[in-house]
Amino acid sequence: MTSKIINMAERIKDAEDRLLDAMFESVPIADDGFSGQIVKRIRRNLWIRRITLPAAVLLGGLVAYQPVAALLKGVYQVLLSVPGDLVPSISGSLPSVQLIITGALLLFVALFSLNMLED
Amino acid sequence: MTFGEDNELVARVVSTQDTRAFGELIRRHQSHVRNFLRKLSGDAGAADDLAQDTFMRAWDKLHTFSGRGSFIGWLLKVAYTTFLQSKRKSKRYAEILDEVGHVSVAESRTHTLPADEVTDLDKFLAVLSEEERAIMVMSYACGLSHREISDATDMPVGSVKSVIFRGKEKIRTSFDIKDHQHG
Repeated sequence: MTSKIINMAERIKDAEDRLLDAMFESVPIADDGFSGQIVKRIRRNLWIRRITLPAAVLLGGLVAYQPVAALLKGVYQVLLSVPGDLVPSISGSLPSVQLIITGALLLFVALFSLNMLED
Repeated sequence: MTFGEDNELVARVVSTQDTRAFGELIRRHQSHVRNFLRKLSGDAGAADDLAQDTFMRAWDKLHTFSGRGSFIGWLLKVAYTTFLQSKRKSKRYAEILDEVGHVSVAESRTHTLPADEVTDLDKFLAVLSEEERAIMVMSYACGLSHREISDATDMPVGSVKSVIFRGKEKIRTSFDIKDHQHG
């Protein structure tokens, strides 16, 4: 008797589910250029992302060229004014202290700029 | 060019950023996503805008699709999140307008269908809460399993079942459901 009631309840539930399925059933929506529009937007975004980095580097280089050149020149002159006896003269084959410091500064500036661009 | 299963297309998009493969995924699932959002929002235009945002977000987040569940389940999760976020945004926008003493634009734009365009389904959906509506639509309109709905809504399967049960109960008590059986 109990199982009969359960079966009956399930059957009623199934019928209700079928009814809800029919009620919720929706007509398929035609694409009509919908997907094309999104793909176009994605391609445009990709293209913008691709050109943004080189453009930023170029623009940054143009803007920063003069002040960076002046800064490097100033640093070089400061380094030239360092008294000779402070600089250990090991041998002529090793790079000078001025050159090493200038190189380190340039490397720092380059790494810092790259880090900023990446962000 | 022939396209394979959804998972194969997803792998191609993730590994090579293949926009044609993603276009095929959109073509396959746009109808489900748009129907889902139309039923949730009740506004076809707004739903289509949300569907566009859904696919744009899906493109960005595709690498997070593990491939364990169905792709449409994952996509509906993205659509549901997009819908909820847009709702929160417009609510906040209305609150700001209220704070500065403007008549709420969101309120004045509320979409109301003409009486002759209101379907039985619209009446059914109107008695459900937002969460119930989303889950009922996923279950009955999109044919998702309870497990897939659970994944899409981040709810336990048991809770999904009880929300469906509650939704059906509400529909049953608000309408004489048998009346629609032959109409």
